Amino acid sequence: MNVDFVLQLLLNGLILGLIYALVAMGLSLIFGVLEIVNFAHGEFYMLAAMGCYFLTAGAGFGYWGAVVAVTAVSVCVGFVLYEVLLRRLGGRDFERSILLTLGLSMVLQNGALYLWTATPRMTTTQYTYESVVLGPVQAPLVRILAVVLAVISFVSLYLVLHHTRVGKAMRGVAQNRDAALMVGIDPRVVSRLAVAVGVGLSGVAGAALAPVYSVHPLMGFAFLFKAFAIVIIGGLGNVAGAAIAAVALGILESLASGFFSLVVVDGLAFVLMILVLLVRPHGLFGGGVRV
Amino acid sequence: MRRAPALATLALAIAAALPFLIGDAYIYTLGLTICVFAVLASGLNLVYGFAGLLSLAQVAFFGIGGYGTAILVVDHGWSMGPAVLVAGVLATVAGLVVAYASLRLSRHAFAIVSLVFSLLCVIVARDWVSLTRGPMGMPGLPSPTIALPGLPPWQLSGPRDFYILLLVYAVAVLLLLYRVMRCRIGRTLLAIRQNEPLAQSMGQNPLAYRLFSIGLSAWVTGMAGGIFVFHLTIVDPSIFDFYYLETMLIMVVVGGPGSFWGVLGAAVFFSAIPDLLRFSADLRLVLYGLVLIAAVLAMPGGVAGLLRRRRLRRWREARR
Amino acid sequence: MRKLGAILAGVVLAASSVGHALAQDGEPIPVLVSLPITGPVAAFGEHSRWGFELAFAQANEAGGIDGRPIAADFEDNRCNPAEGVKSVTQALSQKDYVVVLDGLCSSATLAIMPVIERAEIPMITANASATAIAEQSGVGGNKWMFKVNPADSGLTEAIVAWLDKEGKADKIALLAEDTDFGRAGSDGFSQALKKRGLELAAVEYYQQGTADFTGVLTKLKALDPNSIALYSIAADFQNLIRQYFSMGMKTPLTGRLILSDVPEEILKRGALDGTTTVQPYTIEVDTPENEAFVAAFEAMHGVKPNLLSFESYETGRLLVDAMERASAIEPAALRDAIESASYPSILGTAIEFDDNHLAHNNAVIMRVTDGKVEILGFSGT
Repeated sequence: MNVDFVLQLLLNGLILGLIYALVAMGLSLIFGVLEIVNFAHGEFYMLAAMGCYFLTAGAGFGYWGAVVAVTAVSVCVGFVLYEVLLRRLGGRDFERSILLTLGLSMVLQNGALYLWTATPRMTTTQYTYESVVLGPVQAPLVRILAVVLAVISFVSLYLVLHHTRVGKAMRGVAQNRDAALMVGIDPRVVSRLAVAVGVGLSGVAGAALAPVYSVHPLMGFAFLFKAFAIVIIGGLGNVAGAAIAAVALGILESLASGFFSLVVVDGLAFVLMILVLLVRPHGLFGGGVRV
Repeated sequence: MRRAPALATLALAIAAALPFLIGDAYIYTLGLTICVFAVLASGLNLVYGFAGLLSLAQVAFFGIGGYGTAILVVDHGWSMGPAVLVAGVLATVAGLVVAYASLRLSRHAFAIVSLVFSLLCVIVARDWVSLTRGPMGMPGLPSPTIALPGLPPWQLSGPRDFYILLLVYAVAVLLLLYRVMRCRIGRTLLAIRQNEPLAQSMGQNPLAYRLFSIGLSAWVTGMAGGIFVFHLTIVDPSIFDFYYLETMLIMVVVGGPGSFWGVLGAAVFFSAIPDLLRFSADLRLVLYGLVLIAAVLAMPGGVAGLLRRRRLRRWREARR
Repeated sequence: MRKLGAILAGVVLAASSVGHALAQDGEPIPVLVSLPITGPVAAFGEHSRWGFELAFAQANEAGGIDGRPIAADFEDNRCNPAEGVKSVTQALSQKDYVVVLDGLCSSATLAIMPVIERAEIPMITANASATAIAEQSGVGGNKWMFKVNPADSGLTEAIVAWLDKEGKADKIALLAEDTDFGRAGSDGFSQALKKRGLELAAVEYYQQGTADFTGVLTKLKALDPNSIALYSIAADFQNLIRQYFSMGMKTPLTGRLILSDVPEEILKRGALDGTTTVQPYTIEVDTPENEAFVAAFEAMHGVKPNLLSFESYETGRLLVDAMERASAIEPAALRDAIESASYPSILGTAIEFDDNHLAHNNAVIMRVTDGKVEILGFSGT
């Protein structure tokens, strides 16, 4: 067995896993606080990537400027999304939340197809054709940058959740909504912020991945289902759990594609998810939140 | 009050006879599409509207029925009738496994697992090539023959014959579902949906009732798929198209989950009107999405719920 | 405006012509085109549509068919058999179309075939690739179905023959999308190799919409084949080719690559040097006919044509040729005229249909050398 080969697979998997984590974190946060499975999450990721493409290709933005702009807009979109749609859902109306966000996803995805067609677009930055070589292994620079953004996002989110008042309130609502109400936390403020941060994270993901993958209206669709699997494996609503599950899945997928056929890789996330649901219904890192 | 179903039945009977008067291939095709979606939407209505379970596996049952029937007929030389029945049973078995595994946990788990099951079905259809022929699908399905007792065998060819068959099938299924929804089973399902602990304390076993509703729904949905693919003459992985699922959901949510006539009306409306008005499909789906959002927010009981509330208000005003 | 011009031209021509049945003159000839206008492959449907539009606009500007302009209606099939059957049945019942064109996706086309057979209207597919289409057409049963683009088996045979001649046919790994396109390419490769006593070194299928290929590329890199045959298009191909490049892979590629879709920078840096590929068409074909086609296409649609627009353009032109020869503009006469077609292709050969109603146009073999695409030659299919 070639050691370099395995090392390269591990590195690919680690990068892929952190990319998954970036997409899954926001989904997990929104579920944790609102108990809403956001089917439109992939669409926000797609729109952010589209935005990044149009800013860098057409509006003269530099790449980092586009990242900041897209993230800021995504946070605002999250606020609006909560105030206009999600707020109107009653407390624990799981099925209706799926239908509502599915409807939103249909509007956004097909609207994007109508406006921009399915033609793939490539976001080209100054980093596009560069690679980093570390001894026997190498990785494209754009992926390293995406990973850096993922790590920054995760660390900031962790700090906010554990060291700020509002972050602690979010965790409180996620762990026990009724108790949080009793101690005087306003669920509306907390929920609004959670959606804003969650959609903002999908904005970071879109901007970070626009130079990595081709940008087109259906790009969110494929990632979304994998993100669902990750969020469930990690324990619904457990952001750190989702991040760990994402990295583990990335590495597993990479190893599987190195040693087995690709079909195994495509089904892997779903099969793992079903197994986890059967064996540990609350996810590998699940707390009190029910699936 | 008792007049409404009678009127609706009469209207439907006239509408069902209409294609024969016009005799046009497109009207037959539209008619058989309506029949198929009436079955699919009513099947989902039983699961979501009555049992309260958001099943995203309906499209998988449809596809399993389609593939099952095609494989039994083409590879094993079965005739279509028994093949459709057995493929329907296959869909039922799949539905029971998914439901039993996930419902031990929660309704939420069921929604997610049913979605994943649909996604896995696509992968199986594409990659189990020796069984399903892979992404190329099975083109050129033969025109089936149905042996009717006491009559010469009936070879189905063309949209007219399939319209007749699917009309008969849809009427039979709808009668069956109507009976189920109106009898003790339907009422118990509604009771469980509204208050599970209460229903449990009355000695009902929610799991058994829910499994029954999913099994029945999967069976009728699978059989509809089995007949439909022979009309298309091809079955391929696009039978699992998410678009079918979205359309079924729209029909149930807008028609009114839990309302037999509401969902039936919505099924007829949404399979006929966008087609007749010739909406562009991108915009159609945007519109469907908007309708879905509006229905979820503004009318949780669908159109049927709105009507019921209005009737109730009038009744109250009259009593005042 | 162009349409209006065409109609005006038709009217003028109709007015000036004498001796025709006057009631018929100037009345548009209805032609139905079934395509994916929405859904995941809408981008391909768009190109096919543009090809037909150019062919018919040119014919109409030249006076149409005996003064009658060709009027094409484009119907969406979402690349889905059920939608294809429904939309074509609907359209046929509302207008007396004389011909149905394309279908584009194999499964949708295969499902439409019985519909047009029952309606007794000829259909010509420009882009559907499945081998089953020709197997079921002509002597295969469906007398109304024709296929202009070469079957996959013809293309793979051509490329494998070329690779074999250069001694590069052994140890080929194949990476294909898990669709009828990819599977047909894979089958074609294995069969063509088998004939020469060889086999594929590895076969991998990925699901359409896959974004990350680093795992499978690492595996193929370690396998170190002589070349990798790719069957990948659109967004997936963009992801694949960039990841191939950024992983520093040097293995030459083969299969059916659309080299014009490869980012300029990657070609320029020589990452694809040694790549040999086959296509029914490429815009680089160096003939006056092709230059005229590319220029006219760009003038009309503002983008360069691709393989799909080319096949649809040729199909449209072939149809115009058949209409001019047909004894009457009605389905049966048109079918006979299409069957006896000998239409001069842009690629310099004559398109004629065999007993299975399949045309065997030349395939183009291309090679990348020093960052530039060169045409090695043409090969029969």
